[in-house]
Amino acid sequence: MIELRQVGLKYGEREILKNVSLCIKDNTIKAILGPSGVGKSTILKLMLGLIKPNKGQVIVDGTDITNMNETSLYAIRRKMGMVFQGNALFDSMTISQNLGFFLRENMRLPEEEISRRVAEQIQFAGLEGYEEQLPENLSGGMRRRVAIGRAMIFKPHMILFDEPTAGLDPVSSKKILSLISSLRKNNNLGAVIVTHIIDDVFNVADSVAVLYQGEIIFDDVTEKLHEANHPFIRSILSDNILEL
Amino acid sequence: MKTQRSPSGIIAFTRTLQEKLILDMKVFFFTMQEFFWFSIRAFVAIPKAKQYWRDVLDQAKICGADSLPIVLVSAVSIGALLAIEVGNLLEDFGAKTMLGRSTALSVIRELGPLLMGLMLSARFGSRNGAELGAMQISEQIDALRAFGTDPIAKLVTPRLLAALIMFLPLTAFSDFAGLQSAAYMAEHYHRLDPGIFWNAVYPRLVAKDFVVGFLKAPVFAIIITLVSSFNGFSARGGTSGVGRSTIKGIVVSSGLVLIANFYVSKIVLENM
Ligand SMILES: Nc1ncnc2c1ncn2[C@@H]1O[C@H](COP(=O)(O)OP(=O)(O)OP(=O)(O)O)[C@@H](O)[C@H]1O
Ligand SMILES: [Mg+2]
Repeated sequence: MIELRQVGLKYGEREILKNVSLCIKDNTIKAILGPSGVGKSTILKLMLGLIKPNKGQVIVDGTDITNMNETSLYAIRRKMGMVFQGNALFDSMTISQNLGFFLRENMRLPEEEISRRVAEQIQFAGLEGYEEQLPENLSGGMRRRVAIGRAMIFKPHMILFDEPTAGLDPVSSKKILSLISSLRKNNNLGAVIVTHIIDDVFNVADSVAVLYQGEIIFDDVTEKLHEANHPFIRSILSDNILEL
Repeated sequence: MKTQRSPSGIIAFTRTLQEKLILDMKVFFFTMQEFFWFSIRAFVAIPKAKQYWRDVLDQAKICGADSLPIVLVSAVSIGALLAIEVGNLLEDFGAKTMLGRSTALSVIRELGPLLMGLMLSARFGSRNGAELGAMQISEQIDALRAFGTDPIAKLVTPRLLAALIMFLPLTAFSDFAGLQSAAYMAEHYHRLDPGIFWNAVYPRLVAKDFVVGFLKAPVFAIIITLVSSFNGFSARGGTSGVGRSTIKGIVVSSGLVLIANFYVSKIVLENM
């Protein structure tokens, strides 16, 4: 379970998040919907302890990570996998090196076990035959699937997705979304999906929080979104894509 | 346009100037503090470098073998130039036999290391800045942290070690090449007997001359690697941000190399 309690964050003088409280339960898919630049990626980075809030608390599985130091955070972060907005694959490494990198780095596993887990992720992501390719030689959808495979490598119980379908064609988007749904069904994984595309929300999310101008203006099960009467939510429901 | 400023306008103007200055100072000290901790962490991670020996080797190739040509070119040209200019000067005093000594001192103690430092901050520093900057803006550095790897231990410490190891032999090669080209010019331009040239070099060099020259190598290695890597890590705002931070890294590290060159010479020469 991940919890943000009354979190506030400033970059310099700019207040990005004002008073954000959120709770993501295990085994559920929560979407965070918001316009570009509102601080969606920032929220995910807060959850991982990559940045620290100016006020409020971040709690992961009952542990307050707000003021934790970097070394103690490593263990917490391994409970979560992160799929970054631009994938953040290591461009000098092949696909299988990308997938195996953190296993080799952080776990004292025998090499066969590493190869086995890498092969498992390759198969899961449908990337057979591409093991020795560099990320630059793959399509956007494939790279995203590599990033998802990498996020699963420590067998986390929660995965954070930063704009999983942004910049993909409709077919690849569908594939990614069904991959996300299957994660929960087959692996009992929870997920946080940050997005500005409302279709993603209706396709996979159990509940949704809407972030607007630094505040959460809606937080409930997905079906209730239609009943919300905040003008921003009304406008995105009629336009589908947020361009505010 | 208003040409006259009312007193209150001037006060307001100085106030905003003052506020801006204070803000700049704050940013400066904050950055210095961050740089300080960044450097400490790079050194503290040295024991972990065993795990990253492959990265150390890769970086050693980049800053050693791949930088050798440019270092040699600059050493050869500075050696040749010194021999010609200093030879002309000494000829006026009828002291051409001293040519070997004066070029050797300049090459080994001052201009050799300095030029090497500047070349390396352009070559090795810019590469570090651009590479790490690109990794920063594409969130690869965040990814390392997110999956439990210390990005400084993985990316900066190997570069630091590689530079510390490779800058010494680079200095030796650079000294050698500089002296050879000076000797060549002495013989072919100034018609000086090579025996006379080299006789004024070797027997007269003392330990101090080498200490000054070779002490600069690790000092420059630290300055160039840490400054360029820090600037790479601080890159923000897309591709142009990488450009900006790379340039800043080169400018700052070149400036610091010039300053360090002066102080290392001064301190060693005064104390030895
Ligand atoms: N390190 C930083 N320093 C200063 N400002 C930052 C920094 N990181 C992000 N910002 C700013 O904070 C705001 C929120 O950034 P964030 O990346 O979280 O937005 P986002 O909702 O993910 O947007 P996008 O849709 O572009 O991904 C943006 O306006 C951004 O410019
Ligand atoms: Mg974002």
